[in-house]
Amino acid sequence: MKIGPLNIPLKEDFSLKSILGFEKTPLNMLIAVATLAMLAMFVIGVANYLVHGHEAYGVTRQHPWGLLIAVYIFFVVSSTGFCIVGSLGDVFGFKDFTMISKRAIFGSIVTILAGFAVIAFEIGHPVRMMIYNVISPGLTSAIWWMGTLYGLYLTFMIIEFYFLLNNDMKKAKIFGLTGLLVGLAAHSNLGGVFGFLNARTISNGVYYPTYFILTAFITGIYLSFIVMGFRYKLNFSDEKVKKLLEGLAKIQGLLISILIFFMTWKLLTDVYGGMPTRADVAHHMLHTGAFWTEVICAMLIPLAVILKDFGKSPVLMFWASLIGMVGIFFMRYNLVHDTQVKPLQMMKITEYQLPPEWIEYFPSATEIMIALGGLGLCILLYYVGTRAFNLDEEEGH
Amino acid sequence: MQVEVSRRKFLQGSVTLSIAGASAVSTTNLFSGEEASEHKPSQSGIPSTITTKTSTKKAEDVPYLCGICVNKCAGFARVEDGIVTKLNPNPYFPKSRNMLCARGNAGIQTMYDPDRLKYPMVRIGERGDGKYKRVTWEEAYDAILNGTDKFKGIKQILDEEKDNRATIGYCNGEGLSKEGFEVLVGDKIGSPNYVDEISICLETVLGGYVNTIGTYGEADLNNADYLIIAGANRAEAIITPDTMDLFKRSKGRGLKTIVLDPRFTNTAAKADRWYAVNPGTDLAFVLALTYVVLTEELYDKDFAAKHMEGFEDYKQHILSHNYTPEWAAKLTNISAKEIVKTAREFMAARSPIYYQGRRSVFSKNDFQLRRAMAIFQGLSGNLDKKGGIIYGQKLALPKEDINAPLYAQVQSRFDKEGIAIPASKTGSWIVFRNMVLEGKAPYPVRAMFMRKHNPMSGVPNTKKTEAFLRKMDLNVMIDILPSDTTMFADVVLPEASYLERTSPVASYGGLEPAIVQRKAAVKPLFETKVPEEIYRELAEKLSKPLWEITQKYDEDVQDDTKGMSTEEIEKYYKENGFDLAEPWEKPVHEQNEEKIVKAFGKEAWETLEEKGVFYPNMDKYHQQLNPNEFQYYPESKKNYSVKGDSLKVVVNFKNLAKKGVDPMPTWHDDMAFSVPEGKFRLVTGRHAQFTQSGTTNNMMLRDLIPTNYIWINNQKCEEMSIEFGDKVEVKSSIGKVTIMAYPTNKIAPNQIFMLHGFGGSSEEMEMAYGNGANDALLIEDKIEPVYGAAVMHETNVEIRKV
Amino acid sequence: MARYGMALDYKNCINCKACEVACKEENGVELGAEKHRIWVGGNDPKGEWPLLDIASAAFLPSQCQQCEDAPCQEVCPTHATYYDENHVVRVDSEKCILCSYCMNACPYDARYVDDRTMTVDKCTFCSDTRLARGETTTACQNTCPTKVRTFGDLDDPNSEISELLRTREHFSLKAHLGTNPKLFYLT
Repeated sequence: MKIGPLNIPLKEDFSLKSILGFEKTPLNMLIAVATLAMLAMFVIGVANYLVHGHEAYGVTRQHPWGLLIAVYIFFVVSSTGFCIVGSLGDVFGFKDFTMISKRAIFGSIVTILAGFAVIAFEIGHPVRMMIYNVISPGLTSAIWWMGTLYGLYLTFMIIEFYFLLNNDMKKAKIFGLTGLLVGLAAHSNLGGVFGFLNARTISNGVYYPTYFILTAFITGIYLSFIVMGFRYKLNFSDEKVKKLLEGLAKIQGLLISILIFFMTWKLLTDVYGGMPTRADVAHHMLHTGAFWTEVICAMLIPLAVILKDFGKSPVLMFWASLIGMVGIFFMRYNLVHDTQVKPLQMMKITEYQLPPEWIEYFPSATEIMIALGGLGLCILLYYVGTRAFNLDEEEGH
Repeated sequence: MQVEVSRRKFLQGSVTLSIAGASAVSTTNLFSGEEASEHKPSQSGIPSTITTKTSTKKAEDVPYLCGICVNKCAGFARVEDGIVTKLNPNPYFPKSRNMLCARGNAGIQTMYDPDRLKYPMVRIGERGDGKYKRVTWEEAYDAILNGTDKFKGIKQILDEEKDNRATIGYCNGEGLSKEGFEVLVGDKIGSPNYVDEISICLETVLGGYVNTIGTYGEADLNNADYLIIAGANRAEAIITPDTMDLFKRSKGRGLKTIVLDPRFTNTAAKADRWYAVNPGTDLAFVLALTYVVLTEELYDKDFAAKHMEGFEDYKQHILSHNYTPEWAAKLTNISAKEIVKTAREFMAARSPIYYQGRRSVFSKNDFQLRRAMAIFQGLSGNLDKKGGIIYGQKLALPKEDINAPLYAQVQSRFDKEGIAIPASKTGSWIVFRNMVLEGKAPYPVRAMFMRKHNPMSGVPNTKKTEAFLRKMDLNVMIDILPSDTTMFADVVLPEASYLERTSPVASYGGLEPAIVQRKAAVKPLFETKVPEEIYRELAEKLSKPLWEITQKYDEDVQDDTKGMSTEEIEKYYKENGFDLAEPWEKPVHEQNEEKIVKAFGKEAWETLEEKGVFYPNMDKYHQQLNPNEFQYYPESKKNYSVKGDSLKVVVNFKNLAKKGVDPMPTWHDDMAFSVPEGKFRLVTGRHAQFTQSGTTNNMMLRDLIPTNYIWINNQKCEEMSIEFGDKVEVKSSIGKVTIMAYPTNKIAPNQIFMLHGFGGSSEEMEMAYGNGANDALLIEDKIEPVYGAAVMHETNVEIRKV
Repeated sequence: MARYGMALDYKNCINCKACEVACKEENGVELGAEKHRIWVGGNDPKGEWPLLDIASAAFLPSQCQQCEDAPCQEVCPTHATYYDENHVVRVDSEKCILCSYCMNACPYDARYVDDRTMTVDKCTFCSDTRLARGETTTACQNTCPTKVRTFGDLDDPNSEISELLRTREHFSLKAHLGTNPKLFYLT
């Protein structure tokens, strides 16, 4: 397809018919129905938000950031992760990983779009944001850098993907590298959004900006297993694919180990460092199911699967990655919630209340619907992409 | 055309407000309800939002007096385009000293309350079912006179009662227009059966002090250096200027403060010491203080010899009864050591004050307690002087003569059962109500004329109040909001709120006396009217028909008018005060001007008009000292000492004995505090962000104090597995309520506390309805023996988690 | 051009909340339990009845601390939060995108969402109401029964507040965070 000077090589059979022409297996049907349901929820959720505003959300004065921020982070971390994995091959030239590059770069575009779709309904005035980001930039704000860099990053990813589609590997590499660097900058700034909070000692400091990059890589690998699992219908007999996945699994083993090491020390210093409003929050965190879900799903189960035979069970890794992504979701949710869980105002402000202890938050139905809608959007876009573009490595390249 | 109004549509445009989740509420279109097409008043004067940000435009600042509680603080209403956007304190009034409290600030919300009574209404359903129809003022007055098919009019009732005006009872709430209603129903229409807030409020405090030191007095907290404040909670039950003067100087700032209260109040939080006194045992504490002072001879001997009548008798009395600190310790829960310490400190202080208190009657010994306190104050000699209880002076206003007619057929009041000294003007609510209810009244009481008064909430035993109201043939209510009591009225007359009316000028005496005037900030909203206008119109309507009844039954009038011509009779009618409307011939504002010009001259009137406050030499005396403080009078001009040698403390009040009342404060064993095992003593009280049932529908205050809870001792709660917010049933011998629990260490294990004023039963008050619990459903209708005032803290209750 | 601050003689505070209501009425603040620009905090007394610790039951009026180095201003991506010419931390509701970052960054819980404008709202020292009309007090100061608050220009050595801060000991809330509040609590 030609748009002006641009040449976008679509699959020849790409049409509505091809989109609807998937094999009608029960699993496929289930995924299709679930995706449609999630998209419907997105519409309902957004409509509810447009009518009632932030009141439709469970967020409060003391807990202004809720599920949608967590889901946004979840998607942009996914995007950065895809970007890192995609760059292994076409930017850094690790040949084994080239076959996933195009798919991963496309994945990074899809996930960040889903993230933007979600955050658009969390930010009160997204249009105003785009205007004032440009005409009144707050250069001391991590959110400004994060938002602006992610905007640039998306642009670079699209350009890179364009060149990948057109097999212009040289240009793809240039834009890929730029995109990766901008993406890493954007992503660490997202960590910085939390790291700069001087009132929130649990989040303040260098930990989150660096940890975000690490966990992004981990997320990217989980997602790679998932997209490759669907691509090959869990039949990884192709040697090239096997090699790719084994390599990814080994890297993942290393990364999860590093993450566990990081987390252990973060928690040790949190709990035993004795910093007011940090030690008690850490204690509180350790007593929540959400924290242990994160640890078990995002770290321990996948690591056990990897250690079993050093990454030689790609099918098992596919399932472990699905579990891993659930863990990653909790990781994002916990990060957002635990940052805010300690009240900043510890006195009673009315006679008839309990003294403030921990801030409670539970997402409202509207928030949950929009969050699931983001996932639905992500799946839909990715699926349409698989129908429209050839996301596999070009033969003979 | 008359539109039948169902309960739901009782008031135009009630809106359902979601309180939970602190949702934003808007009053847009609030007042354009379903009936709007029928009677569409011009409603330009209604703000479109609940709070209105003040603008930078020019605005009018109208001096007014706050009416949200009894204090009458002065303020300026900021009026922008006919809407009151803000109430600011008035820096000229020495009483309120440039302040408005939370309630005062929220007064705007009372005026713009969507649930306000907006039109005259006449009952068309059964009593209490809330079915009313909207009528014109003329129709409403006509219904009062002639009745409808649902209720009898006053004409028929008086005819049947042969012009016995005592068949009409009336009650009235506190305020600047209170007196006018007394003139109308009492002096002019001729009813002697008057009850008001006094017998459910501070009757014994006033009586105790006036009968002992000759005044209730004013505590000069600005200059005192030692304060015992017992059972009064100035941090939460705000009284101006006491609250400001006290807390500016508490905690190491010149005023040592000792608080006695069964609960740890916000006042206790500001105190140097807090004694968790057993309810109703303050008298033992004061007697023991007196014992220490007398035995250790710490009192002001000169003062006692010169001014205290019967001092030696009292000394003998106290010593012979052996009111030792050890004796009191057992009764009061305050150790003997602390009692001795307090007595010594008090007498050693330069300017000690045992604060008089200003509160409901809590226990049966309250009159004697007040006498004991006043005498104890006398022992310090700190009366009528700087830093003590001062007498002050009042700026005199010209007296108004009321031409009250004499009705031969009127019978006298009867509410005297169990009362030693029945008050002459206002009676005992409980005794009056109960005697009518129990058929003990010597003649039928068949009609109640009510204004700005809510006995359903204020008078103990709501069930009896309801039965009493149901027993009447005619209930008339003048009010601002559809209160629980309003819902039993047959005719409802909507009154303008205090921001919409100019009220009769008032003179506030004391240390720094001043004259104040409330001016209408805006015109009355909807079809409401200022009270004095209602009095005049109602009087005009009733005057001639009631005169005819008098002529029919009153033999004195018949004798007097025998053989008179019509003109002569008309003249007789006017001259003898039977023309009921005559006191209101001139509007309030005009009457105010006449009075002030007559007493203080034209300039005074101009000052009053502009500033809302006037006192002689105000232009010279009034100065701003710093951003927060003003001088009203120079030190040398304050009325610290006015009595001189005429100062007298009546210690041994011999005449009381003739009435069966102890002539000197005496402890009796039945005054001891005891609660049966498993029960709790119920205590009630106030809160700084609301004024009883009057503000429970105020949107602004509802954010601050959404409902009442029951205070239960935290350790007791653990025993009973009760947690914060749990629903508990509270049951006394007369009723039960359900209320949420507030476990706290601020109350004793055998006591519970709840705020008074919640638990409204009027469905027409959206926010007050069913919110919290009404303590009047629990408090047994007991009276103290001197005046028959309601005793609030002598009810034991059971509680259980539900 | 002034540098406005406020001194709070907080031990005078009786938790009557007149300031909160005056603020809401003056500035047209949205109603709702968590919508307040200023508030009064209180602690229940420690101990068990009747031996309660009076000193522990303090009241502390609070609000935006008008920091010289305001975290909320630093984190705003669009300069919606800014210092006005009198060093008052303000929010330009035209620029606010409601990312809520400032609410998270403020160490004092001084910010909330105004659902009517869908922007963040906070104390303005009555800059756009009373001060704009030439008045010299904030609504909270003016109405206070026990006269806890003194508002004024910190740069004017002759102002009441400057005098107070010269002569009375005082502290700031969470001073260790380096926010340099312009609210001073007198002891």
